Amino acid sequence: MTTTKKISRSEEQLVLALKAQDTNAMKALYDMYSASLFGVISRIVVHTEVAEDILQETFLKIWNSADTYDASKGRLFTWMMNIARNLAIDKLRSKDFKNASKNHDIEKNVDFIDAQKETTFNADVIGLKDMVTALKPEFTNVLDMVYFKGYTHVEAAEELDLPLGTVKTRIRMAIMELRKHFN
Amino acid sequence: MKEGKAYIESGILELYVLGELNAAEQREVEAMAAKYPEVKKEITAIELAMEQYAMENAIAPSAELESIILGKITPKVTGPSLAPLTAPQEPAAVSLAPDRYESKIRTLKYALAACATLLLVTGVALYSAHTELDTAKNQIIALNQDKQRFAATVNYMTETNKELQTIADMPADPDWKIIRLAGTKMDPEAKMTVYWHTSGRHVMLDNSKMALPKNDDAHQYQLWALVKGKPVDLGVFDVKTDSSHILLKMKEIAGADAFAVTLEKRGGAAGPTMDQMIAMGGV
Repeated sequence: MTTTKKISRSEEQLVLALKAQDTNAMKALYDMYSASLFGVISRIVVHTEVAEDILQETFLKIWNSADTYDASKGRLFTWMMNIARNLAIDKLRSKDFKNASKNHDIEKNVDFIDAQKETTFNADVIGLKDMVTALKPEFTNVLDMVYFKGYTHVEAAEELDLPLGTVKTRIRMAIMELRKHFN
Repeated sequence: MKEGKAYIESGILELYVLGELNAAEQREVEAMAAKYPEVKKEITAIELAMEQYAMENAIAPSAELESIILGKITPKVTGPSLAPLTAPQEPAAVSLAPDRYESKIRTLKYALAACATLLLVTGVALYSAHTELDTAKNQIIALNQDKQRFAATVNYMTETNKELQTIADMPADPDWKIIRLAGTKMDPEAKMTVYWHTSGRHVMLDNSKMALPKNDDAHQYQLWALVKGKPVDLGVFDVKTDSSHILLKMKEIAGADAFAVTLEKRGGAAGPTMDQMIAMGGV
């Protein structure tokens, strides 16, 4: 994962530099992770301008909350990804955003985003989507909703009319498939 | 070991990585991860999978976004890094505006001071000009008065000169008779001179050679010519100390034997009051 990036450092170095408020650490983080985070954000909020605003907010929050990151609790990327996802989901559910896309209510908006997404996806993403869809649909569907569409697992359970335990299992199975794929 | 495996298979670790858990559940997962290395290992494996998944789904944001975002990053604390480089730049950029503003104010202050000075100078100049104008006006008035006085003097002198010339010319002209009138018993000190041009009929009194008491406002002296024993009125005159003329022109007469002066009521009388005759002289 360090082969194609402009600036890359070990995660430990990055975390130390980030906590020391070294602006070079932010440059490195941006070079390494901006596209990944933008990919996550863009799945939830499709409008490019809004997604870029959220990416900006994400990096500012990473910078300003660096001292709250605890490496013992998880990887740096997980922390950053969840900042990005939370900001994107907050935006998706905000009054502003709903008003801005007033022709779509929240559920339809998600479908609309999903449909629109197809045209903006790069080749890699389309390939991966194919890969995910190659899994049993009932497994991928739940991960899709939580990871791509900003549903909480509780909302996904309600939407799919499934017990919470089933939703959890299906998410786990989907991630297991991903792990197998990447190994 | 068995507990750890069951925990892993519950699917809670995936939700933990996806940020789906509340604070209490998160603390529970973290406690389990600290207790069971395989839980920690499982979490890391899930994280790596999601990380790779994100990498595979990466979408590059627009190129200009990097400088925008990095431009907004400023260190909270001054560290031994590149941070101090960016920190002083912003205050410097901000302080530029007040500087410009201040220099503008300074310029305006100078302008104001210059205006005030100009106003003061103008005021002084105006006051000085006003004073000088007053002086000049007074001088003009004084000069005018002088001029009038000189003109009057010149007139007087011209007149006097003419009269003196007339008197001076008299001896050369045999027609001019100079008659000296002597005082009567009314006033033996009185005397006066009458010039009479026999062919031109002019009759003139010489003020400079007149020695008559001053007449009052109610009376005037009257000059008479005696023609064959009959008095003929030649006009009235006053005796004043400040008479401007030497010669006093009287009525004309062609022939006379003698001249006499009586004191009459103002305006003169038709005939002389004999007991008021003050001077008399024969031709």
